[in-house]
Amino acid sequence: MLTYITRRLFQLVIVLIGVTLITFVMMFVVPGSPGQLLAGKDASPERIAAIEHRLGLDRPLYVQYGKFMWRLVHGDLGDSFRLGIPVTTLIKQNVGNTIQLAIAAVLIELLGIPLGIYSALRQYTFWDTALTTGALIVWGIPVFVLGLFMQWFFGYKLNLLPITGAGDNFLAIFPASLNSLEALILPAVTLGLIEVAYISYMQRAAMLEVIRSDYVRTARAKGLSERRVVLKHALKNAIIPVMTIAGIDLGALMGGAILTETVFARPGIGLMIYHAIGARDLPVVAGGVLFATLVYVIANLIVDLGYAYVDPRIRLEG
Amino acid sequence: MTDDQVRQQGPGATPADVSERQSEAEQPAAAMVSEPGPAQKRSLGLWADTWRRLKRNKLAVVGLVIITVFLLVGITIEAAYIFGKNLTPYDPNAVNYPLSPKGLGAPPSWSHPFGTDYLGRDILSRAIISTRISLIVGVIAVAIALAIGLVLGPVAGYYGGAVDSVIMRAADIFFAFPYILFVLLLLTVLGPGFVNVFIAIGLLSWASYARLNRGSVLSVKNMEFIEAARAQGASDLRIIFRHVLPNTMAPVYVAIAMGVGGAIVTEAALSFLGIGIQSPDASWGKMISDYLPYLPAGSWWMLFFPCLLLVITVFGFISFGNGLRDATDPKLKE
Amino acid sequence: MAERLLEVSDLSTHFFTYAGVVKAVNGVSFSLDRDKTIGIVGESGSGKTVTALSVMRLVPDPPGKVVAGSIHLKGRDLLAISEDEMRAVRGNDIAMIFQDPMTSLNPVFKVGDQIVEAIRLHQGKDKREAWAQAAELLAKVGIPDAKKRVNQYPHEFSGGMRQRAMIAMAISCNPDILIADEPTTALDVTIQAQIIEVVREMQAQYHSGVILITHDLGVVAEMSDKIMVMYGGRTVEYGSVDETFYNPHHPYTWGLLGSLPRLDLAEKTRLTPIKGNPPDLIALAPGCPFSGRCGYERPECRENWPELEIVGPEHGVHCWIPGEERLATRAALPRFKEQVA
Repeated sequence: MLTYITRRLFQLVIVLIGVTLITFVMMFVVPGSPGQLLAGKDASPERIAAIEHRLGLDRPLYVQYGKFMWRLVHGDLGDSFRLGIPVTTLIKQNVGNTIQLAIAAVLIELLGIPLGIYSALRQYTFWDTALTTGALIVWGIPVFVLGLFMQWFFGYKLNLLPITGAGDNFLAIFPASLNSLEALILPAVTLGLIEVAYISYMQRAAMLEVIRSDYVRTARAKGLSERRVVLKHALKNAIIPVMTIAGIDLGALMGGAILTETVFARPGIGLMIYHAIGARDLPVVAGGVLFATLVYVIANLIVDLGYAYVDPRIRLEG
Repeated sequence: MTDDQVRQQGPGATPADVSERQSEAEQPAAAMVSEPGPAQKRSLGLWADTWRRLKRNKLAVVGLVIITVFLLVGITIEAAYIFGKNLTPYDPNAVNYPLSPKGLGAPPSWSHPFGTDYLGRDILSRAIISTRISLIVGVIAVAIALAIGLVLGPVAGYYGGAVDSVIMRAADIFFAFPYILFVLLLLTVLGPGFVNVFIAIGLLSWASYARLNRGSVLSVKNMEFIEAARAQGASDLRIIFRHVLPNTMAPVYVAIAMGVGGAIVTEAALSFLGIGIQSPDASWGKMISDYLPYLPAGSWWMLFFPCLLLVITVFGFISFGNGLRDATDPKLKE
Repeated sequence: MAERLLEVSDLSTHFFTYAGVVKAVNGVSFSLDRDKTIGIVGESGSGKTVTALSVMRLVPDPPGKVVAGSIHLKGRDLLAISEDEMRAVRGNDIAMIFQDPMTSLNPVFKVGDQIVEAIRLHQGKDKREAWAQAAELLAKVGIPDAKKRVNQYPHEFSGGMRQRAMIAMAISCNPDILIADEPTTALDVTIQAQIIEVVREMQAQYHSGVILITHDLGVVAEMSDKIMVMYGGRTVEYGSVDETFYNPHHPYTWGLLGSLPRLDLAEKTRLTPIKGNPPDLIALAPGCPFSGRCGYERPECRENWPELEIVGPEHGVHCWIPGEERLATRAALPRFKEQVA
């Protein structure tokens, strides 16, 4: 296991460096970047040059990269073009809501696990076909389309739940009022529903494969009850891959579900990035993406390590 | 969150793996020479076999039908464009205020089956040309990704060692970014627009094809016919692209089906966010974004049809892709 | 007087699939006594494994079903009892070990855990006792350092050790019958002999009957008392091992024996394979499944299944070729030419 951890950490470092490098390239190397953006479309070449000089954009690339990394390591993501405040401040303001949404969505998607298991055990029955078809249909629905539908149906038609905004939070993450909770429901269900479809499909597939495995046959041959065979032998093997999916989703969502937040006008990292795109506010966009990527990478690492711990084959062999 | 491409790691199955019914291990004692006999008639050609299995999957067949309709419409419109003609019932960009009472568009009617939008433009026509845009974006984006991925992947798998490490690390880095945000970042920098969209999507999605293909390459490269080709003096390049690659394509086809679907959704999402297709081009995502403000006023049809078409199209690609994957999976017993 | 443990009569198991009915086992009969071993021999698809699974009532249903016949374990009809009662039989009165020990053990549970599971289920012992017993069992099957090994995971065992562990798991509840389905096929040749040895020892210790399923005639010869040759879901010949090897009556048995390499034949004598391919179990001819491949078939072979013909002490064959002609044909084969008739 130790070898595995070391290898993984090493990979993490490389990936992080690569990520910053690519972000840097996108921000500073791709033609038409910062200087042009800052100055505006119709600025004269002299004005652009002046801005570039002031920002140090005419220095050699490796120098710029060095400065970029230096500031990054010190937690400085630059300042928003539009608002003038540090990007990190913006992120701090918005991250609480995003985390709240992420956790809620993942909790909902965990429902896919029992659904998938049940479907696998009842293969070929009506319920199974219905679930699989349903899962495939829902899985393919783009999240913003589903979000719009939810808004229309639960918001306009039934007038049941608020369709925009978010409420106040306790400790930045926990809903502090009924309003806050209500505002959380539709976005969380939207995100969660699509993932439930995916997870139940994957869980079913994993379960089916495990049920057909040789060691399950051995368990039956020992005279174990079907229930024992499923719950003890099959489940432990089948659930591992699916838990990792949920973990990765959590990481991905922490980075801001931009589409959902946009549809529901819900403050969060995603909406922050959306406004920044409209305003060509590159530091915010880049900063937000970097933040989301960092969280995603770390979440992946945690999931991998967790997986290694749970699977004795990796845990003991390293 | 259109991470479908990333998720499609594929089973790593190759046509060479698709086993026949008898397992090698169970032959009594020594040789059991088999001459073609009646019991072998079941093993048809490889693709005939795949097609047969695919046909049994009703969802996949539905998906294939959807894809075919989509392709036909898109290609026809594109072909017409090239010749300067427009085949849609009305001019998709023709503003026609009388057709939009109170600026809220007109609901579906016999003359306008999908209704009109707030500018009086025929929605059906706009939906049709959106098909063309989605098709082009989907196909070209995946083509770009393939062009990169199907070079780097086999090279990594075939040469192994340092080359493999470097390429796979690069893939790791591209996988590290949440997909949509990654594309968004690039588009913010490149600027919005039709062409930039498929460049951005294509450039940033090569990694899943590369990784997928590399896996198959690893198993194929040790097979004997590769050895034979080498013995005949074939150069590495020739071996990779003429012998190895064609035998690793099965999971790639699945990935392509999913990839085109994914690209279409990504484009829709980007256009919805305002950074994809720009006026006067139309795409489903852009239509949704444009017409959203009109929903509270009751003009539901403006949103309904683009959404419906988008969902149906994506569903088609996904179910076909899934069906194709199941049909080429040698482990899946029938 | 040997105690009769198992009596299988006219067993037929079919699989009802979308492509048709797969007649995997058709009218198979055999018996097994205590301390004895019967080897079931045949190629892939001959129905040997399905026969064993039928005895255990482990045939996946759907699509499989035992459609005819009876299975009596010490007089008790296994096909008539409830599933609960059958579960008490599995692992307890009849135990089975499978071909690939690598995939037959659950990778996420300790080996000891998997043995203890069977012990606690059928013998009701408490944890401490059961684990102690598990360690003893591992030692009994020849695994060194058993106390440490019992806490390890399957992937930490070598192939041969895993199979020993499976044997330990199977004998943990002192079964009357041990079914070994191709126990050596997935193992190295050098390990094969060891495993057979372990099975033999356990049989001697526990006085079980053993059903040994294999395609390897060498293994059969070494361990079995009786042999049953299967083809296309049917028994084509059965008898004691000596009888059947030295006096084979069915053309398929000739083929099997004939395709074995022999050191005593003249140099450069070619191996004699059996021409053709295994039968399609869905489109089986009503008669002998070997017709079409036999080389000596007569018109009735395809249409009618030959009745049992006793050709020696406890030695039977199903074949339309009249006895005399059969012996003559056999004598002409290269393999049997040099044999003393």
